Amino acid sequence: MSAFDCAIVGAGPAGMSAAIAMAEAGVRVVVLDRASRAGGQIYRSAAASPLPDVAALGADYTVGADLIAAYERADVTHFANADVWHLGEDGRILFSQDGESRELHCREMLLCPGAMERPMPIHGWTLPGVMTAGAAQVMLKSDAVVAEGAVFAGSGPLLYLIVAQYLRLGVSVKALIDTTPRQNYVDAVPLMPRALRQVAMLRKGLSLLREIRASGLPVYRFAEDLAVLGSDKAQGLCFATKGKQRKIHADTVFLHHGVQPNLNMTRAMGLAHHWNPDQMCWQVTVDVFGQSSVPHVSVAGDGAGIIGADGARTAGRLAAFNILHRLGKLSLTDRDRQAREDLSGIKEQIPFRRFIDRLYRPTDALRLPQEPTTLVCRCEEQTMDDLRAGFEQGARDPNALKSLTRCGMGPCQGRQCGHVVSGLLAQWRGTDPEEVGYYRLRSPLRLLSLDELSQYKPVILEAAE
Amino acid sequence: MKADVLIVGGGIQGCATAYYLSKQGVSVIVLEKDYSGRHASGVNAGGVRLLGRDMAEVPLSKASMEMWQTLDDELGEDTGFRNQSLINIAVDEADITALHERQVKMHALGYTHERIIDQSELMQRLPHVNPDCVGGVLSELDGYAIPYKATAAFRRAAERNGAQIVEGEEALGLRRVGNVWLAQGTGHRFEAETVVNCGGAWADRIALMIGDNVPLSHAAPMLMITARVPKFAAPVVGAVSRQLSFKQFENGTALIGGGAKGFADRANNRTRLDYAKLASAARTTAEFFPIMRRASINRMWAGLEAYMPDNLPVIGPAANAARAFHAFGFSAHGFQMGPVVGQVMAELVTGGTTRFDLSAFRIDRFDRKVL
Repeated sequence: MSAFDCAIVGAGPAGMSAAIAMAEAGVRVVVLDRASRAGGQIYRSAAASPLPDVAALGADYTVGADLIAAYERADVTHFANADVWHLGEDGRILFSQDGESRELHCREMLLCPGAMERPMPIHGWTLPGVMTAGAAQVMLKSDAVVAEGAVFAGSGPLLYLIVAQYLRLGVSVKALIDTTPRQNYVDAVPLMPRALRQVAMLRKGLSLLREIRASGLPVYRFAEDLAVLGSDKAQGLCFATKGKQRKIHADTVFLHHGVQPNLNMTRAMGLAHHWNPDQMCWQVTVDVFGQSSVPHVSVAGDGAGIIGADGARTAGRLAAFNILHRLGKLSLTDRDRQAREDLSGIKEQIPFRRFIDRLYRPTDALRLPQEPTTLVCRCEEQTMDDLRAGFEQGARDPNALKSLTRCGMGPCQGRQCGHVVSGLLAQWRGTDPEEVGYYRLRSPLRLLSLDELSQYKPVILEAAE
Repeated sequence: MKADVLIVGGGIQGCATAYYLSKQGVSVIVLEKDYSGRHASGVNAGGVRLLGRDMAEVPLSKASMEMWQTLDDELGEDTGFRNQSLINIAVDEADITALHERQVKMHALGYTHERIIDQSELMQRLPHVNPDCVGGVLSELDGYAIPYKATAAFRRAAERNGAQIVEGEEALGLRRVGNVWLAQGTGHRFEAETVVNCGGAWADRIALMIGDNVPLSHAAPMLMITARVPKFAAPVVGAVSRQLSFKQFENGTALIGGGAKGFADRANNRTRLDYAKLASAARTTAEFFPIMRRASINRMWAGLEAYMPDNLPVIGPAANAARAFHAFGFSAHGFQMGPVVGQVMAELVTGGTTRFDLSAFRIDRFDRKVL
């Protein structure tokens, strides 16, 4: 019986590029991916799009098909539809596939959990008809489903991208309500000159905005005081802009204000994390090669700090070089020699990333609820007021607050509200989130039926020799 | 910082002791190295159980059960206590025989709170139980509470009486100087006439500082809870001879225990789960309640709990020091005893005596007389 040299969890750009690099070096790699086909969120269905004209999604999407093709040619054991529900520090991974619980062992583990959208807990954000821009993308990419006459609100590249994709596909859009504050532009200007070195990236972003403006779509900038209209379902959005109150009616409201690392795996494993004040989110603490506080566990891609798809590809490769070194396949000198180009590539991206982070820095008004009755925990229906009451009763730690109010105890296990709860406690305690901490995440990483668990057997999957 | 009494450990025993002491006007400081209710007191299964207790514990447990019935009013807080009864299920005639043997002993001591029930009563009380089960034993007074809430309820009530709960402060050293105890914490120094050790899984270390050796061990009992399912079981459920422990809360979530242990990493303040054992607990649950098969497990965890070799707690004065008392080592069934233990400790601290016979719980009961 033999274990895998490396198990990669998540087949997005980071996971795929790491797998390719490691397979080329001849190590036994297994990749566990939740989707039916590799690609991750960004390249979801890029290898087999249901859309008649996939070019409408843009060149950044179609380039994913080439990566997926290269990945699928690589000598890698790929488990599709594999839902990981336990990651052990000992290198044991438990996952569900076809309704069965399975287990594998690995020497090295590379987590590529990707990003998730930052919750936007404005008034009415949990009403039926309110979705995230990311959800709009998933529907479009996997099922070619769109929502006609929707209103898009928030800030950030992903929001503009989905609006542009809708427009290219001829889908009617009611309005784009841009919440990027005037101050963000002012603050980002000093960072602009250095960011200009990444002129291609900047141009891409600008052309997206130009495309939206040229389409004649009503765009409201510097919007504040957002609230979803409607009492039992979304009927539109009201907001203030340039001193005027406005209402826009729509059955569907798409919200978005940036992405943050998906912490489910890294937190559940108990890896060290820190608060990133530039991106206003938690992220796992790793070195330039993605190695975490547990030496045989590495993290690459957006899941280790938002760097975008191209950055994720590079980070995946870097993690692979280091893991190959740890497995004795690369000397330290060779690792550093092979990594040189990617390391400087990542470094060059930093000024541009700083500029983007500053420009689209989330405002507290969108990051944290502003009204006492706004829901924070959707699963257990806990409002900000409920949490405040728990705080007043002495629960100053996210876990104590969870025990007292049940906030974060529902089916999502706090995976959605974790950042909001840390943020609120930090605000109430007058300190920063680093001091407050985060939920202790418990197994399983996803709901698991009793029947499935009871049939769990420690069957070891053997790596192909 | 100075107080009459310094309590080490902010779990339910420490907070209850603080409550009953402060209620009498005694000044109290509670030292808690993490936050109150962080470990066993806050993450246990919440069973409030008198049924099936060791004979030595029955008087304390009975008194505590009386206290639970009106505890919310006493504390002016919500402990989440629900008096839903508890049934231990018998699966065969051997179980029934064991129950009858226990009943004879119980009746001889005058205890009548446990009642053997037949198959039809079992089916009537638990309609979804596997019909192969033959009967069981019932205690009407039993039920469950919400562990963290109950611990927090004692804590807040104590604080209203003036008790100080100092969180994030570990007792690093304790020494008796003249007529006082001096304690060195991580950030402060403390002084008190009396010290009470309610240190849970860390209590042996505190006992050592006081001057008492104790063969305490620790383990990590595991639990899992499902997402909400339609209401199908009101009583708390156990089994006479099987590792089953099960309760459905008012909100529909069902908690599965059974005593299986994970891995207790006390030095690092954490636990790991043993999935093969959890799988076995899932199988047992599905066997007793086939309706549970489709339920989704939402969360699995373990807590750090202290165990004594005879599974009985240590309750009483220190053996080798003056003005020091212990209450720890409850061996996974101390939550229900919290109220009475708090009261007993307050009695011991203020008057030196209690109405209960604590001889079975002496700290030095394992001292070897010969090699």
